[in-house]
Amino acid sequence: MKRLMLLSFVFLLSGCSDIAVLNPKSVTGQEQAYLIWLSLGIMTLVILVVFVLFAWFTFKYRYTKNKDGFVPTDVKGNLKLELTWTIIPFVLLAILAVPTIMTTYDHSPELQADNREGADKEGTHINVTGQQFTWTFEYENGKTVHDELIIPEDETIVFHITSKDVIHSFWIPELAGKVDAVPGRVYTYEIKDAERGTYRGKCAEYCGIQHTNMVFNTEVVSKSDYEDYLKKPDNQDD
Amino acid sequence: MYIPFFEKHVPSDVIAAWVSVIIIGIVLATYVIKQNKWSVIWEYMRTTHHRKVGTLYMIFGFLFFLRAGVDALLIRSQLALPQNEFWLFQFQKYNEVFTTHGTMMIFFAATPMLLGLMNVAVPLQIGARDLAFPFLNAVGFWLFFAGGMLFNLAFFFDSAPAIGWTGYAPLSTSLFTPDVNSDYYVFGVQISGLGTIFTALNIIVTIFRHRAPGMKLMRMPLFTWASLITSFLILVAFTVLAIGLYLLMFDRMFDTKFFNGPDGDPIFWQHLFWIFGHPEVYILALPAFGLFSDIITTFSKKRIFGYPAMVISIGTIAFLAFTVWVHHMFTVGLGPLVNTVFALTTMAIAVPTGVKVFNWLFTMRGGVLRMTTPMLFSLGFIPSFVMGGVTGVMLSVSAADFQFHDSHFVVAHFHYVILASTILGIFAGIYYYFPKITGYQLNEKLGKWHFWLFLIGYHLTFFPMHITGMNGMPRRTFTYDVGEGLTATNFISTIGAFLMGIGVAVMFYNLFITIRKKERVGSDPWDGRTLEWTVASPAPEDSFQPMPIVKEMDPYWYAKQRGEDLETTDEKLASPISRDSIIPFIMANLLAVLSFGLMYGWIWLAVLAGAGVFMCFIIRAFRDEREQYYGKGEDGHESV
Ligand code: HEM
Ligand SMILES: [Cu+2]
Ligand SMILES: [Cu+2]
Repeated sequence: MKRLMLLSFVFLLSGCSDIAVLNPKSVTGQEQAYLIWLSLGIMTLVILVVFVLFAWFTFKYRYTKNKDGFVPTDVKGNLKLELTWTIIPFVLLAILAVPTIMTTYDHSPELQADNREGADKEGTHINVTGQQFTWTFEYENGKTVHDELIIPEDETIVFHITSKDVIHSFWIPELAGKVDAVPGRVYTYEIKDAERGTYRGKCAEYCGIQHTNMVFNTEVVSKSDYEDYLKKPDNQDD
Repeated sequence: MYIPFFEKHVPSDVIAAWVSVIIIGIVLATYVIKQNKWSVIWEYMRTTHHRKVGTLYMIFGFLFFLRAGVDALLIRSQLALPQNEFWLFQFQKYNEVFTTHGTMMIFFAATPMLLGLMNVAVPLQIGARDLAFPFLNAVGFWLFFAGGMLFNLAFFFDSAPAIGWTGYAPLSTSLFTPDVNSDYYVFGVQISGLGTIFTALNIIVTIFRHRAPGMKLMRMPLFTWASLITSFLILVAFTVLAIGLYLLMFDRMFDTKFFNGPDGDPIFWQHLFWIFGHPEVYILALPAFGLFSDIITTFSKKRIFGYPAMVISIGTIAFLAFTVWVHHMFTVGLGPLVNTVFALTTMAIAVPTGVKVFNWLFTMRGGVLRMTTPMLFSLGFIPSFVMGGVTGVMLSVSAADFQFHDSHFVVAHFHYVILASTILGIFAGIYYYFPKITGYQLNEKLGKWHFWLFLIGYHLTFFPMHITGMNGMPRRTFTYDVGEGLTATNFISTIGAFLMGIGVAVMFYNLFITIRKKERVGSDPWDGRTLEWTVASPAPEDSFQPMPIVKEMDPYWYAKQRGEDLETTDEKLASPISRDSIIPFIMANLLAVLSFGLMYGWIWLAVLAGAGVFMCFIIRAFRDEREQYYGKGEDGHESV
């Protein structure tokens, strides 16, 4: 088992550079990835301590023939030790809590009264609507497109997310975390400074028979390309 | 193929299920007839004895575990390769399979098997003759049975629910899933949940009222402590679930609008569900923690390190369990403040959990570790569980959870936690208590095979899933594309799953040959420490005659060390009187019939079944099993 775990760990490390969520293509995603790395780091420390103690004790105190009939002395406990492993985790968690609070305050989606509230936020605004089983994107000039999202690079994009039927969840793993699309509610969620590229968007909340196929294509393009794109007709029925 | 009752044609997996059930049914029936086992079946249908009810819980829990395990293998077969088309398991079928897998595992496999172990062990650990309310105990079991069977029936009528084990509204309301499928979820879970609440009440009263003289609370074995606190969790959490399910039932049957429309709100359901759902995780974990504590002390030949801290941390975890439910809802948009507060409470729960882990490790330190099968499972639990705990802390970082949530990373996390604690705990418990349940001891060599196959399979399945998730695979999706970087990890997961399957098959074989061999073991096969090892194997119906007096923790162990017998007393404690009765069986199953009537709109059937249930109440109200004993002193058994 040990060897297996070691192997998978090596496997994990070597693969890290390709893992979408750990290597995101927007500032928002990078801030979230930083938290993932930080928590993974702190937790690796914990894991190592536990694994070392575990391996050591299991090996050293395992039954062998010469221990036949040996009755160990009872230990009721040890206040100092027990305080140690109460307090140190507390400290580690406190260290983790500070950036968690900061980023969470920054990134948490906000509830809006309607599509227009929050329109004063700086950035490019896009209305996102989930509906069994398509995504509809409405741009600032009213252009409306299904299952294809085009956004300009290096800008703050303010998404206004809602749903027409059941709950969906709007997720572009390579850019940033997800936000649920809830009927009767509009959330704003910002993704900052995406890099140019093509990314897969998905529905992350189970919504029915075609949930798996509720995907959309995301393209991050230059600002001028974006302006051109907006001027083109919808080319889609709606 | 057209068959009445099925409006559409019958898919081949349903036909396969019918055929296999009929074949198994015929085989079982011939066995019963040939061996003339009717009396045993009749006995178990009417029993109210804690060991027998516990055995029933284990048998049916294990049966449902196998069913849900087959579902898991179907899921993994479908996900083995990109754009795979395994049998029928795409789209609706896939959705049905992960829904039944999750629901069955949580409600009909893990929870009942733990309740079974509690039923068997708790009375024996505290010197009680039986649970406080034997009749209620049988009712609790049969309700679980009826709910589980009802839920299973769905598949056979090609109407399995497809709303996930979380049944999120508004998808689960009649607006979006008008067919009976979702009703099977609502009614099946509701009925069995009711049984779970009853059993929890029973355990609480038993532990408070029926301890042997001198068995102070702070001398109780940790499994009993864990059972006590778990029962309180059940009492609150399952009640909240019952309320949620009632509201959902009203939305579905009578078009109320609790969970949709302008006045209702789908988020209400999520709150209700997770106020139940998070404590449920600890309902599954705490009893396993208790079992591991007892097993590790037994096979280290040492008392538990820091007993008071262990008890306090169980209590703290249970309390905190009610303060963290929103961590399942970070992406729902409840706002930065709510997300932060619940991130902090979630992190806090790691502290008492960590205390327990280190106390287990230091219990082992300086001991003599005997590597029996139950001990192996307990040892396997520690590092595996810590890995699940670690990803739990990572998930509590709310902004990071925006990425993790609803991806396979979460699937990896909760399987790491639940399998390490609950499932390894149940396996450990089965090997450990098998002598008390049947009088036989399971084969150690096969046990070790079972352990290693299962453990390796488990890590092989779920470790790569972390990466699958971080590469952007949402949960509850039935396929993925070639270029997404998801192929390798998914394929490894599938191999691991089948390895686990082989492990369980080995266990099944072990159970089979052990029961066939019929080699009896004595009362204390493991060199145990607590009272259950003083009574005969299997535990008799008349245990603790005379009643032991408890003067310390692990009383049996210290008595053995001093070469003494446990001190006993002729004084009598009030003890529950159990009388066999068929009423619990009838009552619970009629409740399932009633639900069936409601679901299909056959009101006459519902009314008839309802009247039947009510009749059972009346019959029960006029019968008093104590009647025989009036005026014969406190202890009925003595004078029979
Ligand atoms: C025996 C080996 C097991 C395997 C191979 C396995 C596999 C899986 C997989 C692949 C999924 C994700 C399905 C999807 O999202 O598309 C899943 C979901 C789930 N599993 Fe397991 N599982 C196993 C055992 C268990 C156990 C023991 C439990 C609990 C006691 C459990 C509880 C769940 C739950 C609650 C879900 C979520 C279902 C849902 O999304 O509604 N599983 N399982
Ligand atoms: Cu979806
Ligand atoms: Cu939780």
